[in-house]
Amino acid sequence: MKLTLKIWRQDSAQAAGRFESYSLDGAGEEFTLLEALDKLNDTLVETGQVPVSFDSDCREGICGSCGVTVDGVPHGPIANTPSCRQHLRSFTDGSTVTLEPFRSGAFPVVRDLAVDRSGLDRIIEGGGYVSIDAGTATDADAHQVSHETAEAALDFAACIGCGACVAACPNGSASLFTGAKLMHLTLLPTTRQERGQRAVGMTEAMDEEFGPCSVIGECVEVCPAGIPLTAIAGLNREKLRSVLRGKAS
Amino acid sequence: MSSRARTTARRPLLSNFVCKTVMALTGLIFSAFVLVHMVGNLKVYLGGEHFNDYAHWLREAFEPVLPYEGLLWVLRLALLASLAGHVACAALLWRRARVARGPVRRRHAGWRSFTARTMPVTGLVLLFFVIFHVLDLTTGTAPAASGGFEAATVNTSHAYENLVASFQRPLAGLFYALAMIVLGLHVAHGLWAAANDLGATGRRFRQVAVVVSGVVALVIMLGNISIPIFVLIGVLK
Repeated sequence: MKLTLKIWRQDSAQAAGRFESYSLDGAGEEFTLLEALDKLNDTLVETGQVPVSFDSDCREGICGSCGVTVDGVPHGPIANTPSCRQHLRSFTDGSTVTLEPFRSGAFPVVRDLAVDRSGLDRIIEGGGYVSIDAGTATDADAHQVSHETAEAALDFAACIGCGACVAACPNGSASLFTGAKLMHLTLLPTTRQERGQRAVGMTEAMDEEFGPCSVIGECVEVCPAGIPLTAIAGLNREKLRSVLRGKAS
Repeated sequence: MSSRARTTARRPLLSNFVCKTVMALTGLIFSAFVLVHMVGNLKVYLGGEHFNDYAHWLREAFEPVLPYEGLLWVLRLALLASLAGHVACAALLWRRARVARGPVRRRHAGWRSFTARTMPVTGLVLLFFVIFHVLDLTTGTAPAASGGFEAATVNTSHAYENLVASFQRPLAGLFYALAMIVLGLHVAHGLWAAANDLGATGRRFRQVAVVVSGVVALVIMLGNISIPIFVLIGVLK
């Protein structure tokens, strides 16, 4: 199939960006979006042009490295699917597809379609970890966790940290990410001693670089891990709890 | 700990959490108020005398524990304080959201988030409406109020006549109806957002919150809209 790719080109974080159009011929509709970019880059390199920079790693939707904005929608037209699992069959033959980096004030463009998402890492530094000396593995039944709770924690832990929620949010909020990262720890008993300070620390780190949440819900439409809005309510609940309780635990 | 220290240094006086909590609580106060207000408005269908008696009772309620108009002034001051908090926090959060989003706005957002994305707009319309509404039917200030406005006295109220005279002006009636649609949109998302802001994580609670938000907003909207419509088609006069 034949596509016109209108791609955001930007040489550095400081440089001004612009759109450039490229014609992509001979890509199959079974190609993923990133494979189409690979094919385009092969052509660009062959003709002595600078290839398009973009992030990718596993290409099977579990690493959270990839992420481009396709026709204004983070990751692409298929909901809850990362860029690497978006296929060209979503586009009609001969159409123009606009590719931009993830857009947010907290995600400065590194080059072309690649952005710096280390703001998310700084939220994790704010408290998204467990400071316990794990030692040797304890007995499987030492900590009683119901199946339902374990599953809920795992569902929140499914977040791959791609940052699409931030790019989808009109407010540039990272609440869905932070909520998922907070709740998957909070639900488990081994993390309780830091429960309060974790909520405070992560919220503070989040507010420093990201916007406030207005429960708009655009984030859950694009999240490749299917994190529900409940994560955001959980984040608010934990913060409220820590304020009312005033303790580290 | 260095990152935490840096955080502390930059922390604004009112954090997003404080702003959101203030907005949620004051929003719930407003929602409760407009719901009760709507129920009071519906007394218009029980006849002019009944409606005027209710309006008069609001002024002399709980006498002599409260002075004349005591209940009204308690409500007015509480609502005014809530309004100040709600609007100030909204402005702060709106500003922070714009900065955080950066220069490239979100485009192609879905219709499902329409009420959420339009909250600042519907909020501003409602602010304008509240000012108009007070000038029209509380203080009777022209040109918001109709020419036939009569202020309440210590013995009686002319609320019914004032309401009918106001809504008989087609533009004013239409504006009231439109403002109630805007109110419905604002309350529908506002209640749902308040549930989230106050940490409603339970599955069943969230399902109930979605339904209650929609139903309360719809009831307030339809209950209030019916009044200018019935005045304009001549049923209430």
